[in-house]
Amino acid sequence: MQHAVELEELGEQITEASRFIEHAQEQLSQRIIGQHEVIRRIFIAMLVNGHILLEGVPGLAKTLIIRTFASAMNLKFQRIQFTPDMLPADLIGTMIYNPKDMEFYPRKGPVFANVILADEINRSPAKVQSALLEAMQEHQVTIGNQTFPLQEPFMVLATQNPIEHEGTYILPEAQVDRFMMKILVDYPSYDEELEIMLQSATTASKLPVMPVVHLHDISRARALIDRIYVDPRVQRYIVDLVVATRKPGKYGMANLEAMIEYGASPRASIFLLLAAKAHAFLQHRAYITPEDVKAIAYDTLRHRIRPGYEAEADNIKPDDIIRQILQHVQVP
Amino acid sequence: MNASSELQRAGLRKWLLFWLLFLFPIALLSPLFGASGEVQPRITLRVIPDSVLVGDRIRCLITVHHSQKEVAALEGFDRSDSLSSHSFELIHRKHSASFPRSGAGTEEFELELAAFGRGHQPLPPFTVVFRDLQGRVTERVPYTSSASLFVRVLTDSSMRELRPLKPPLKPSIPSLLMMSVIAGVFGVAGMVLLLLFLLKRTVRKSAEQVDSGQVAQRKLRKLGSSLSAGMPPHECYEELSNIMRSFLENHYRISALEAVTQEIERDLKKIGVAGFESIMNLLKQADLVKFADCHPDVEESRQSLKKASEVIRSTRTPKSEG
Repeated sequence: MQHAVELEELGEQITEASRFIEHAQEQLSQRIIGQHEVIRRIFIAMLVNGHILLEGVPGLAKTLIIRTFASAMNLKFQRIQFTPDMLPADLIGTMIYNPKDMEFYPRKGPVFANVILADEINRSPAKVQSALLEAMQEHQVTIGNQTFPLQEPFMVLATQNPIEHEGTYILPEAQVDRFMMKILVDYPSYDEELEIMLQSATTASKLPVMPVVHLHDISRARALIDRIYVDPRVQRYIVDLVVATRKPGKYGMANLEAMIEYGASPRASIFLLLAAKAHAFLQHRAYITPEDVKAIAYDTLRHRIRPGYEAEADNIKPDDIIRQILQHVQVP
Repeated sequence: MNASSELQRAGLRKWLLFWLLFLFPIALLSPLFGASGEVQPRITLRVIPDSVLVGDRIRCLITVHHSQKEVAALEGFDRSDSLSSHSFELIHRKHSASFPRSGAGTEEFELELAAFGRGHQPLPPFTVVFRDLQGRVTERVPYTSSASLFVRVLTDSSMRELRPLKPPLKPSIPSLLMMSVIAGVFGVAGMVLLLLFLLKRTVRKSAEQVDSGQVAQRKLRKLGSSLSAGMPPHECYEELSNIMRSFLENHYRISALEAVTQEIERDLKKIGVAGFESIMNLLKQADLVKFADCHPDVEESRQSLKKASEVIRSTRTPKSEG
């Protein structure tokens, strides 16, 4: 069977270019036990310039994963603990007066890094959240009257605690929509926990994580991802999935009409395609299959679907709605 | 002695007879003499009922007995100030007179009053005015009744009393007839359900009898003919993928039409089907054509159709083959 020459060549280039991911994963596996899917999603987001919202109870190694990821990827890492008394200047920086020169100089904030861990993003008020989300969107920050571009790659990984809501500022839907994926970090399995316990319960210092990636590896991977072939059938399948979250009745799921208050935005279609491309890249493929779309559908859609009153009353979560949509929308 | 006593008895008899003959007509005529004389006016008052709800109406019957030479009239009920101080309102009045015997007359006044206030309400005083036949007032008799009326205010219980809850309506159709109609309806519904059940079972049996493998083989033959007739190979692969998925869905009862190849692979692995490798190769080849812009030639397509036909034949159960 004859492949399109371009795709065949691209496939080879992808296999070659995606090696750095395997090396980085090796480094991560030395420090992180389990959480393979979370790590995989972080790589996907990094490859297509996306940001991630991590939700999980404390103690699931969210910070450790991100810190190790940044070290392995040779990226500058900054952890920002969001608090209620935080100001936008604490994040983006401010103008400092120098009495010697009698001039104001910009002092850059912690947002000037490659990988930002916005810990407990919902603990800070809306204006601080907005400052970060604006930086995420624009990839630039304005201090005083000077605009500074952020370093590339720029990736924000924000965390939220799903069990504590007292004294928190829930992220508005418009701002949550800017995150490419919302990943639910779950507890490790029994065996994984056993291994974590044995590995971590020591006073000996841990082996440092070796930086195995160069910035040009990431740039090259991004360039190749842009060239991944997307068949019109898959394009339509992506749009079908997103439209089904808005008009489920059109796809034979009339029971979901009352369950969904509002469905996913067009940004969901864009991120679904980008994430599917990155997923295909990690599989060393030069084309997307519906499997790639299905694999990242939950993480890309769950924070973009708002369940209605009836769904909440019946304890139906966005994941249940997505599951039903994936089961009903015909695969090309 | 006997003769004198007989004389005495005869005298007594005469005396008694005389008195009888004299007193009987007097006794008979005495009422007439009395009637033709002065009749003292007499007033009676009757109220029906003696207890009402506020706003209800009462009937007040005033009977006046008087001389035939006079007529009676009532005063006091016409004046609103007189009534309003007693929480009554005159609604309607009726007057009738009768003269049952000469010399005496009876006049009846029937008043309809609306009662207000609450508790015991004394009836309003009134005056009976007697006039002679020339219309001159001969006598005025003021009358104050000792009777009173009990007026109840509107409360929840009295409202209920005012508008009592209606007892449930009895069905106009006899209950026996109703029972038989209901039993008939249930009987018909039961029959319909039984028929539907039997129909569904028959349809399912006939559907089971249709072998999904035979259907798939027929479709593959038709596809082969279309390919020979000039169908583009990539369209042939798309159709081949659909035929294989439909076959897997019907044959192994897995949702293959809404599943991606990897999901089908997972499901088939669980079941442990014969010809698993061949099925997956066919599906993956079809995926390459559909999603990876692959361009198979006609011969490759024909080979794939042949392989698909062999795979389906190998997966058919002995029952369906028989």
